[in-house]
Amino acid sequence: MNKKIEHKFIVEFEQNQNIIHKVCRIYTSNQDAHNDLFQEIAIQLWKAYPKFRGESKLSTWMYRIGLNTAITLYRKSKRSIVTQDFDSVLYKIESTSYDDTEEEQLKLMYKAIHQLTDIDKALIFLYLEDVNYKEIAETMGISEVNARVRMNRIKTRLKTILNP
Amino acid sequence: MMDELEFLKKDWKKQGADFPKLSYMEIYKLIHKKSSSIVKWIFIICIAEFLFWGLIALCIPESTFAIYEKFNLKTFLFVTQSLHYVVVFVFIYLFYKNYKTISVVDNTGLLMKNILKTRKTVNYYVYYNIILYVILSIFLNAVMFSHPDILIENLMPANSELDTDKFLAVMIVVQIILLLVMCGIIWAYYRIIYGILLKKLNRNYKELESLEV
Repeated sequence: MNKKIEHKFIVEFEQNQNIIHKVCRIYTSNQDAHNDLFQEIAIQLWKAYPKFRGESKLSTWMYRIGLNTAITLYRKSKRSIVTQDFDSVLYKIESTSYDDTEEEQLKLMYKAIHQLTDIDKALIFLYLEDVNYKEIAETMGISEVNARVRMNRIKTRLKTILNP
Repeated sequence: MMDELEFLKKDWKKQGADFPKLSYMEIYKLIHKKSSSIVKWIFIICIAEFLFWGLIALCIPESTFAIYEKFNLKTFLFVTQSLHYVVVFVFIYLFYKNYKTISVVDNTGLLMKNILKTRKTVNYYVYYNIILYVILSIFLNAVMFSHPDILIENLMPANSELDTDKFLAVMIVVQIILLLVMCGIIWAYYRIIYGILLKKLNRNYKELESLEV
């Protein structure tokens, strides 16, 4: 029975692993940190999986565990995450076909996001994933109104970081 | 207002091909690795603290209590100790109950609240131990120093060249220094635990809480 659950989990994880990579992209800015966080989220998902009954969508469930893990994970040094050279931040982005200006703009965007607090990163992640405010509020444990207000503040803050 | 963010959102949806794809076997290996979550660390540290304070009590040699017998304090100490064990079990029960409520599937606010609550249980346990230690020290010393004749008879080496007043003064100073050193060690320990392990969690929790005000 346990093996059956494990098999089902791995298959579903295999299909949805991009969600975890995306969480890691928001919260980390180098490959090592990315891999560490990816591993921890995978472990937490597996630990929680036997209790997953499918009341919510798998993606919703994964967002929640992924973000909770990222927010509560103890990291050795914040500095090693924040002050990384941002060329390594987008270690993969070069492969997509953009011209130099667009690529530069994306790099700056990610760099700005990495300067946000852990809570704000979670909100931006859910925004980028097109999650509605009701679900964002439920995931974070805040009211819908406050989620909206906060999101607007984050947008303003990002704008300030990008256009000082 | 935010062209950059819309641009990022477009790119965000396209990404995916860029990420490494883990195979079935790689995922299998990954999920069987050891977790390094804060909850696990808190659990380990808390158990270590329960053991530490438990062992400290057990490590006090029986002979230490012989002196208290002379002051008719043995029954008092026995009752105190029995009560103490009851309190310890209550703490362990509360800790375990709170620990069990921690669930990574809860919303972020609730999860952080439950982690901090679990941690707080153990904090109270440590405060309790410190306070008990201080009160007992003061009480026992007060009793002993109010009967200096028995104290001198039992503790002062027969061939000592110190006069009795000096001996008592030294005893008091030593006791006070011991108390201060003990409190200092505990304080430093908690600075480290809080400074390193819980600072981020506390900060994130306060930030989320501040959104709801």
